[in-house]
Amino acid sequence: MKKTNALTGMGKGFELGEALAEANRCLLCHDAPCSKGCPGGTDPGTFIKKLRFLNVTGAIRTIKQNNILGGACGVLCPTSQLCEKECSAVGLPGGAIRIGKIQRALVEHGWETGFNPLEKSAPRKEKIAVVGSGPAGLSCAAELAKAGFKVTVYEAKKKAGGVLRYGVPAYRFDPSFLERELKDLESLGVKIQCATPIRGKGAAEKLLTKGFAAVFLAPGLWEAIRLKEPAPPMPGLFTATEFLSALREGKSEQIGKSVKGKRVAVIGGGSVAMDSAESALKLGARDVYLIYRRSYTQMPAEEDEKQDALRIGIHFLLLNQPVDYVAGPRGRLRAVKLVRTELGDIDASGRRRPVEVPGTEWELPVDVVIEAIGAKPAADTEMWVASVKRTTGGLIVADPKTGATSAKRIYAGGDIVRGPALIIEAVKDGKAAADAIRRQVGKKEVSHG
Amino acid sequence: MAKPMDLSVDFCGFRLINPFMLSSSPVSNSAEMCERAFEAGWGGVAYKTIVSDRLPIIHPSPRMAAYQPSGKRQVGVQNVEQTSDRGLKANLLDIMYLKKHWPDRLVMASIMGFSNQEWADLSKACADAGADMLEINVSCPHMTVEGSGAKVGQVQDLVQKFTETCRKSCSIPLVAKMTPNITDITVPALYAKKGGADGIAAINSVAGLSGIGTDTWVPQPNVFGKGAVSGFTGPAIKPIGLKFVAELAKCKELGLPISGIGGIETWVDALEYLLVGASTLQVTTGIIHYGQGIVESMIEGLSDYMAQRKVKRVRDLVGKALPNLHETGEFDLTRQGVAQYDLDRCIGCGQCYTVCKDAGGWALEWDAQKRRPILDEKKCLSCMVCSFACPVDGLITFKEMPKTYRRADTVTLGEEMAGQLKG
Repeated sequence: MKKTNALTGMGKGFELGEALAEANRCLLCHDAPCSKGCPGGTDPGTFIKKLRFLNVTGAIRTIKQNNILGGACGVLCPTSQLCEKECSAVGLPGGAIRIGKIQRALVEHGWETGFNPLEKSAPRKEKIAVVGSGPAGLSCAAELAKAGFKVTVYEAKKKAGGVLRYGVPAYRFDPSFLERELKDLESLGVKIQCATPIRGKGAAEKLLTKGFAAVFLAPGLWEAIRLKEPAPPMPGLFTATEFLSALREGKSEQIGKSVKGKRVAVIGGGSVAMDSAESALKLGARDVYLIYRRSYTQMPAEEDEKQDALRIGIHFLLLNQPVDYVAGPRGRLRAVKLVRTELGDIDASGRRRPVEVPGTEWELPVDVVIEAIGAKPAADTEMWVASVKRTTGGLIVADPKTGATSAKRIYAGGDIVRGPALIIEAVKDGKAAADAIRRQVGKKEVSHG
Repeated sequence: MAKPMDLSVDFCGFRLINPFMLSSSPVSNSAEMCERAFEAGWGGVAYKTIVSDRLPIIHPSPRMAAYQPSGKRQVGVQNVEQTSDRGLKANLLDIMYLKKHWPDRLVMASIMGFSNQEWADLSKACADAGADMLEINVSCPHMTVEGSGAKVGQVQDLVQKFTETCRKSCSIPLVAKMTPNITDITVPALYAKKGGADGIAAINSVAGLSGIGTDTWVPQPNVFGKGAVSGFTGPAIKPIGLKFVAELAKCKELGLPISGIGGIETWVDALEYLLVGASTLQVTTGIIHYGQGIVESMIEGLSDYMAQRKVKRVRDLVGKALPNLHETGEFDLTRQGVAQYDLDRCIGCGQCYTVCKDAGGWALEWDAQKRRPILDEKKCLSCMVCSFACPVDGLITFKEMPKTYRRADTVTLGEEMAGQLKG
C-alpha cells in the first residue's frame, strides 16, 4: 500500500484483475498450508482456488462466511506473519502470494457488485447480548445472527467498530471501509446500540435477567498504561489512545495545532506507537522521536511498519528508558528524562531485558509526548462484571476454546481476555464463543437464572 | 440470497444432478476414480472407452506431453492415450458397482468395437452391466489399432452402420462422440442419427502436433524416437469445440441433445458451452491440470450466476446464444466505432503504439515526453489489437461513433514515393 501524506484515505487495494493475476501465481497446493496459518480459520487455499477458476462469488462467500471482518483483516492483518508465512511460494522468485490483498479485493468486489453471500438459518426466538463492537464482538454477533439468534451489540462509544475505528489511523483503515463491513453485519439483522455503555454494579449479569439467553463480553482495553501512575496533569502529554481516538473523532485540527512544527516523542515499540509516530509526522511535527527501551529487533511492531516509520523520517531512539517528564513554564511539558539502557538476559516475554546504565541520565527537549506503552481494562470493569473471575491485572479469565467465564451464560473474548492481541485473534474468540453459545442455548437446559 | 440453485438437467432421458461430467479418458479409468469424482460433486461420467479382450491394448510410453507456449503452463495437452487397457470384465464390474452405489449419477459407458460384432457385444454387455447410456467412440484420433477411432468417424456410412449395430443390440440411449478432424461435423452426426443415435457428444481431441523437440527433431510426446499426429486437448481447443457444438445445435435436421467437450475448466467455459447448445458438459484436461476439485467452483459459479440472472433451470440457458450467431454477411456495416483510451490509468508502456504501427491502422502517435499514446480517431480501424496488448484491464475499450463518422483512407504511397517509382 502506498503511503500518502494525507491522514485520511487509505491506499488503494488490488483491482479484481490484479487479484486474479496474483491468484494465477498461486501453486494451488494440495492440503494448502496457507489455510493453516490463520487463527481465525481463513481458508485462502479455497478462496484463491475459486478465484483462479473464475468463481468470484464463491471466493467472496468463502471469505465472508468464515469472517464477517474479511475486508478489515485483508487490510490490517500482519499476513506476512500468518497465512503468507506458510505459503509454498515464499521461496520462489515472486515470493509469497499476497493473500491479504487478494482477500481485500474480493471483499471490495462483493460490495461494488452488490453480491452479499451471507446466509441466515431459520430465525430463533432467543436473544443474545454482545458488549463491545470491536472485532471480537462483531464476529460473535455475526455468527450468532447467522445461526438465527436476535443479537444486540452494546457499544459505549458514539460509533461502532472499537479498535477498527478508534485505534487505527484512517490512513491505514478508512472509516468508510468499516461502514461497508458494518452494513454486511446489518444485513444479518444485528442491532448495534451505540453510546450505550453497560455500566454500574453487575450490569453484565443484569442483561441475563433482561431476557438475554447469553452475554458475550468484548469491551477491549481502553485505559492506557502510563509511564508514571498516576500520570501528572501536564499540557503536551497524551496517551496514544487519546491521540488516535481524537484523530478518528474528527478533532485532527485541534490535535494538529498541538503537534505542528513541534518536537514530538512517542514512547513504545508496538504497532500503536508506530501509528502514533506516523500520524504525528503527518500532522506536521518537526521531529518525531520514537523512544524504545530495548533494541530494534525486540520491538513488537511488524517489520514493514517499522521500515515504513524509518523511511518517512521518524527518529528511532533505541536503548533509552524514559523515567520522568520535565515541566517548563506554566507546567507545560519541556523535556523527557531518559536513561541509557543495555540489553541483559532474556525476560518472561522471551526478549532480552533492558538494564539501565547508571549515571547516563539525560534530557531530550520535546514539546509533546505520546505514551504508547500498552492498555489495560477500564478501572470500573471490576464493578460491572462482578461475578466474573478476573486476573490480578484485571483481565477476564475465559476458556480459550469456548470463551466461557466463571459465570454461567457469560462469555468473553478479545483483548479483555488476551491482553493486546491481533484483530484476527479477536475474531477467533468471537466465533468460538458464538459456537459455544449456540450449543449451550440449543441444549434448552437454560431454565435456571 | 445465494441459496444453491437446482442445477439438474435432462439428457437423453436421464436427469443429472448437474451438467458436469468426466469425459471418457484417463480421468474416468476405474470405479475408484469415478466414485471420487461423484464424491466431489460431478453429475456423471463417460466411462473410459471399453473394448473387447480380443486385442490387447498397450499404451505408448510416455503417453502425454504438455503444450507450454512461451512457458505458459496448463494451456493444452498432447496425448497418445488409447482406450481402456483393463480387461472387459473388470470394466463391467466397475460399471455395476457405480450404478449400484450412485444411482443418481449418469454412468455413460464409452465403447469402441474393432469389428461390427464387437460393437454389438460391447453394447449388450455394458447395457446388461447397468450403464445408463452408451457413448459410441468413433472419434479417437490416434488409435494404434488399424481402422478404428476417428478413422471410422470420418467415414459416414460406418458411423451409421456401427450405431445401427449398437441400436439393435441394446435399448439404452446412444450418444455418438464426434471427431473435430473433419470439415462439416453435422454430416457424421446426421449419419449417427440415421443409425439410431439419441444424442451427440462433441468434440473429441483435435489432431495436432503441439511441439517438436529442437534437439531430437521428434514430435512430442517422444515415444522412443518417434512422434505422431495425435490428440490435442485443453483450453487451447475451446474455440474449436464451441464452434462445432454451435454448428451441431443449429442444425435443425439433427435436433439431438449435445454433450459439450473441449477445454472446459471453469463455470464460465461451461456456461459458454451451454449457451451454444450443449446440455451436459464433459471435462478431462481441466482435471489433468488441476484435479477433480475444479467442479466445486463450476457448481458454485454457475449456481450464483443463475441466481443473479434469475435463471431457474440449466435448460433455460441451453442454446441461448444461438439466435445471436450469424453469418458475417449479416453484420450491420453502417455502424462503426473506434478504440477509446482512459489515459488517466495509462502506465506508459507504449505497447499499444507498437502494435498499432505494426499491425493496426497507424492511428497512434507517441508523446515521448509524457510517454502516452495520442489517438487519431479518424485513423482507428477498431481492430482492437491495442487493447490485447494493454496491461491495464479495461483501459482501452470499444466505442461506437455517430453515423457521421468517416474513417480516413488507409495510408497510400505519397506523391514522393510514387515519383521515385517512376524514376
